[in-house]
Amino acid sequence: MSIFIVQIVAMNALKDTTTVNEDDANLLVLIIDTNPLIWTKSAKSTGLSLKEALRHLLVFINAHLALKHDNEVAVIASHVGVSKFLYPIPNPPRLSENTDQAVDSNLYQRFKVVNDQVIGNMKDLFEDVSTLDSYPDKASSMIAGALTMALCYTNRIMRADEIGHIKPRILIISISPDSPYQYISIMNCIFSAQKLGIPIDVCKVHGEDTVFLKQAAHLTGGRYLKLQIPQGFLQFLMITFLPDRFTRNYQCLPGEEKVDFSASCFCHKKMIDIGYVCSVCLSIFCHPLEQCSTCRTSLMLASVSESGLKLVNGIKKLDKAKGRESGGSI
Amino acid sequence: MPTAVTHFKTNIYECLEALPKPTLDQLYKEPATCLAIFRLLPPLARQFVMSLLFTQPISPVNLTQSDLRLWVKNEEEALAKFHEALEKLSKLSIMTTDSSGYIQMNSSFRERFQDCLTGGGDHQSFGVSCERPAKDKPDIAFLDKHAMKQWEEILHFMVGTESTRQPSAAVLKVVTRAKLMKEGKDKQLMITNKGFQFLLQDVNTQVWAFLIQYLDIADELLHMNVVEVLNFFFMLGSLELGMDYSVEALTPTQKQLLDDLANFGLAYRRKKGSSRYYPTRLATTLTSGNSAVVSSAVSSNTSTTTGDDGATEQGFIIVETNYKLYAYTESKLQISVLRLFCELQTRFANMVYALITRDSVRKALKHGITANQIISYLTSHAHPQMKKQIPLLPPTVVDQIRLWEMERNRLVATECHLYKEFRNQGDYEMVLRHATNLGFVIWSNAKKRMFSVTEEGHEHVRNYIKKKIAQRKTNGGGGGEAGSGIGTPNNGSPSVR
Repeated sequence: MSIFIVQIVAMNALKDTTTVNEDDANLLVLIIDTNPLIWTKSAKSTGLSLKEALRHLLVFINAHLALKHDNEVAVIASHVGVSKFLYPIPNPPRLSENTDQAVDSNLYQRFKVVNDQVIGNMKDLFEDVSTLDSYPDKASSMIAGALTMALCYTNRIMRADEIGHIKPRILIISISPDSPYQYISIMNCIFSAQKLGIPIDVCKVHGEDTVFLKQAAHLTGGRYLKLQIPQGFLQFLMITFLPDRFTRNYQCLPGEEKVDFSASCFCHKKMIDIGYVCSVCLSIFCHPLEQCSTCRTSLMLASVSESGLKLVNGIKKLDKAKGRESGGSI
Repeated sequence: MPTAVTHFKTNIYECLEALPKPTLDQLYKEPATCLAIFRLLPPLARQFVMSLLFTQPISPVNLTQSDLRLWVKNEEEALAKFHEALEKLSKLSIMTTDSSGYIQMNSSFRERFQDCLTGGGDHQSFGVSCERPAKDKPDIAFLDKHAMKQWEEILHFMVGTESTRQPSAAVLKVVTRAKLMKEGKDKQLMITNKGFQFLLQDVNTQVWAFLIQYLDIADELLHMNVVEVLNFFFMLGSLELGMDYSVEALTPTQKQLLDDLANFGLAYRRKKGSSRYYPTRLATTLTSGNSAVVSSAVSSNTSTTTGDDGATEQGFIIVETNYKLYAYTESKLQISVLRLFCELQTRFANMVYALITRDSVRKALKHGITANQIISYLTSHAHPQMKKQIPLLPPTVVDQIRLWEMERNRLVATECHLYKEFRNQGDYEMVLRHATNLGFVIWSNAKKRMFSVTEEGHEHVRNYIKKKIAQRKTNGGGGGEAGSGIGTPNNGSPSVR
């Protein structure tokens, strides 16, 4: 039991090892954080409301579709307490079949279909307010759920495509702060994405940096960028997040390299820099336990006294003042 | 010696490049055209356009080429791509460098492409649909059948399959002008080696090659405006398959065009003068740029319409390492194409069994078909079962086809000038050294005191010798002592490499 593993540092950042060809189609899975509370805050402080942001995002989606004939897109809303596909949805309502609006001669048909569906489904999502009340953590949205849906979707698409022609990537438009409740599931998503070789890009629109998503971008070989000029949202998207996996091989993209590897403990969902790690299943705890709550391994062997419990530094610095407070020293 | 293979313009990109700047500016007035041309650009160029497209409203940015250069990695491959991207952008005058060194985006392109992405403006560039729903709308299977029937009729005519009726005048004009066919002894049109090359291309390339030839004719003979014609092609490429569009919104030129394009199978009209038209798959996939997908989609659909149960079938050729070829097709056209480079052995109800032999490939090579064309034909028409293996075609077969081609290319003819009859070895060596340093020498023989130089080197070498003679004369070294034999330039003498 004396073997402790520095868990997170051991996870190497994954480079895009799969070969990407010029002719490959790109699948962009866009996860939009639609937490209404925080978008209202954002609109007040920076002037970028959800509606405004959506306008920028639709142009961005069109730009992605314009890049290549066979580029695909999927849009997922990560709402409070629920995540929903905005595009594509099974059996889209044929709302425009009989009206003159079926074809707009001023807009490329493919753009129109995607834009209409995204806007329509976004409206439906906001009209349905019942889910808001039942969820405990209103300050943050279901990023983990949305990520899971995105990964399942890409996995399905990749399997259907036998010749490996489609190269997926995920872009998260994040606005709410980290929810420590979702730490485990987000981490699992990151590992799945790593395994599938899908880069996760993150654009933080408002508020503090999110530590979990920064890790997600770092570990999957994606980009993390904090929006500095809200009016230039589209420009930020175009320069940093539009390049597909082929052009990225040749481009220098903006983004942050510094990553904070903080984790949240499994017991109280607290964000910690230094904690205790189960040597069997690598669960993280903020205080020493007799039995691991995840894998039920008895951690308290007779030979190991309370003081002998070794502390694992999940990050880099052992001498952090914060660290000393929360867990003592080795 | 192999016959020189002249490639005709199959590539719309090259065709656009050759257009003068004012014509391009005219073209960029239609958002649909902007989108189509944008998709023809290399990936990095597309990214640059997107990165700079919306910069204007925030703050006018002035970037020089070296600023853009910082966007790509400092690696050889990336830099090569970077320069290629900028070159293509400036050739199409989308992004040019102005006198002060700043990169400027074509203003009309910027505006219209922004409209295209945001859906702004009132340009009706993506086809005006009919207001009233059609009574009996043709379904997609019908349109595919129509497209294939019309298109294959042209190809059948070229191959000379019996019982094909004479195609329309426009088709004949294109075919003869592009030298795909020429008049034989008995006034009958015969297929040329260019025609054979044409047949081996995939459908998308064929359609473009055809349209580009048509464009030339339209300009010269029919007096159509090139811009209007190109705009129409690109608009067709942006339309939705299976939808009906209104003829009324078209210009007179485009209405005239539509008749011809319906003949080629790019569009369908119930009858001449009908107020609506339906683009077919040949048209809607024009700008997709992914030709393999297009041809397979089309061929898969023809197989469904002919009652084959190969709905998922894309491609039909299986090649084995023992040079046996199995083609799951009933189409006479495909079989006659295969006959160009294979020895047909047996024909079954749904497939043909053929052998790729040295003789059959050499026969094709003599017609001016290249090994690469054969290989790319086999690749793009490969059976889905073949597509699962890597590499797709057996390497032995691919290598052998290339070797058979190389067999024929042992001699290379180079235009050159022969220098001979030097009086002494010293003169010979002096002139030869000079020519070698400049890299003009193709062949030399010290014993015979002869060497030959390239066409462009001739002038230099001759001047050099004249200069030397003049020098010696002034030095008083005696008249013709230099003894330069500016040998009779022996034009076109082949030199073995």
